[in-house]
Amino acid sequence: MANLELGEDTKKRTETPVTADLLIAIVTPVNVEELRAAAAETILRMSPQNVAEADPSLSGLRAAVAFPGIDGEDPESSNNTVHLDPAGSGVEIHFVPLAISNSPSEIPWLGSSTAYQAVFSLGREMGVSACAVVASDLAALRPDALQSLLAPVRESRCDLCMPIYPIGKFEGLLNSSILAPLPRALYGKRVSFPLAPDFGISSRLLPTLEQPARQIVSQGKTLFWPATEAAVRGQGICQTHLNVRHVPGDGLDLSTVIAQTVGPLFAEMEGHAALWQRVRGSQAVEATGSPLPLAVEDSTVDVRPMLETFALGFRNLQEMWALVLPPVTLLELKRLSRMGADQFRMPDQLWVRIVYDFALAYRLRTLSRTHLLGALTPLYLGWAASHVLEVSKMRARDAELRVERLARAYEDEKPYLLSRWRWPDRFNP
Amino acid sequence: MWNQVLLSLQGSMDRVMDRIAMLLPGIVAFGVAVLVFVLIAWLLAGLTRFILRALRFDERLARGTRTIAEWSPSYTPTVLIARIIFWATVLLGFLVGLEALGASSDNYVSTRLLGYLPHVVGAVVLLVFGNIIARFLSRSVLIGAVNMNLQYARLLSQGVKWLVLVLTAAMVLDHLAIGTAIVDLAFGILFGGIVLAMALAVGLGSRDLVSRSLDREAARPNVEPMPEEKLRHF
Repeated sequence: MANLELGEDTKKRTETPVTADLLIAIVTPVNVEELRAAAAETILRMSPQNVAEADPSLSGLRAAVAFPGIDGEDPESSNNTVHLDPAGSGVEIHFVPLAISNSPSEIPWLGSSTAYQAVFSLGREMGVSACAVVASDLAALRPDALQSLLAPVRESRCDLCMPIYPIGKFEGLLNSSILAPLPRALYGKRVSFPLAPDFGISSRLLPTLEQPARQIVSQGKTLFWPATEAAVRGQGICQTHLNVRHVPGDGLDLSTVIAQTVGPLFAEMEGHAALWQRVRGSQAVEATGSPLPLAVEDSTVDVRPMLETFALGFRNLQEMWALVLPPVTLLELKRLSRMGADQFRMPDQLWVRIVYDFALAYRLRTLSRTHLLGALTPLYLGWAASHVLEVSKMRARDAELRVERLARAYEDEKPYLLSRWRWPDRFNP
Repeated sequence: MWNQVLLSLQGSMDRVMDRIAMLLPGIVAFGVAVLVFVLIAWLLAGLTRFILRALRFDERLARGTRTIAEWSPSYTPTVLIARIIFWATVLLGFLVGLEALGASSDNYVSTRLLGYLPHVVGAVVLLVFGNIIARFLSRSVLIGAVNMNLQYARLLSQGVKWLVLVLTAAMVLDHLAIGTAIVDLAFGILFGGIVLAMALAVGLGSRDLVSRSLDREAARPNVEPMPEEKLRHF
């Protein structure tokens, strides 16, 4: 096995051998004082002292909390072990700062592959029985949320537990349009949120994921897709309904988010091409917990800005789109650009083929990859406008089924992707 | 008299043949130098490709956000570097060959022409890079402006493209030492004029077009801010 690759700072802090039964990791910059307070409160509430929320399996357990900490910025860095034992509960928490930091260009709420590699290494070295990764807003650092994520992996029902968030019909559109259905069609697992910031991992999966995380770092890729890596290695995946809402902060525009999420997804396709070409259809992933009531949307969304961007993109970016998309698709887009807002509907097959053609262009470097992903943004906004117009009068449940229909369209159009991927020079009208 | 004409013609032909005989070794040396250097270039390019692939150069370079491959997307950095080394070596062969050709020629005009050829090569290289940069920058501006919903995206993109092309043309003419002072002045006037025209277009000249676009953008967030908050892409 390869040597441990923790940063020097992290090694120093863990040189006095620290073992733990449970690792809670935050992989993006977090307010350390808030984290200490929230972690201490959560672990205490999960101890047998609190009957309502106690998890008996956590009694007497040692927990470690890993977070990005840069030397010199954590005033309590020398005091990273907190013993919480107010009434003999035996709960012990170690705070372990990891010597990692997100570069300014990365999405602040998504962990980098470097951070995940450090967490997996740390979990393996500590010999933890389970690891929970939570987002830096600490919305999932609650007893009920942690138990939902950790129970399936601790009970060996699966190795990776991904969350299902309760989102409204106008939320998570990028996830519904590309980030969830594309990996589902490629790798055959119906994971609702494959790029979720919260998930649980079993001790068995930690060393298994450490190697691909290291490989991803060495290849210069920024994002780590836990669900994809687990699916590719045939590890058990399950999902849990998680009553947590994350609201991404402002600061990054949509084209940057698309470039930073869809780009790595297309890059992963290249790396796993030999595998996903053999996968047909998809399998449902076991979901635990009760489905949460979906948010009710009473207000309407103004789609005019999105339609204007789509029309502007069609007028100005046709030259670039023509390098990526076949003539039939361009004709369809031309027809769409002439539609009024009331009739604007982008068929699922059209959108799926656009995504597949862009994935192929990413691989073939038909355009600069930065330009390619920038040129995808107006098309995505066209899809988003069409989706919003279609689901605005639907109930939340029907909107969910509509998203499911799009995901099935990805699977149905996979033969198109296969033929284009294998024979990119073949005549394609 | 006829004999004298014949003698003169024969003398001229002899001088021409002498000249060709003097130049021929140089031409042969030029050809041999180019061929040898093409062979060396092919070997060097192959070796470079082998070494860079063994070092996984493309993957290491991809860690940065801006990579060589962004400027020439059709080729990986390894292929680009190998081709640069190939053509640089061929160019070196050309220069060596020109040196041999020039040594066998003692004609002033030939020497000056041969000495000018490297400038021509440099100018061609400048032109090629200038075009690549102009195309890349204009596309970047176009995509960025479209995603920001700016109606004058194409105008901005063309403006940036022509600015870079004008700058490139001025650098090429300067490198070729063609009308230096006039070119400097013309470039200054033209470049300054384009920048001033774009500034005036934003401020005064295209007031209606810009103000309509700005009004549209300014009005949109104020008219219905609440529904926008209900839509989340991520």
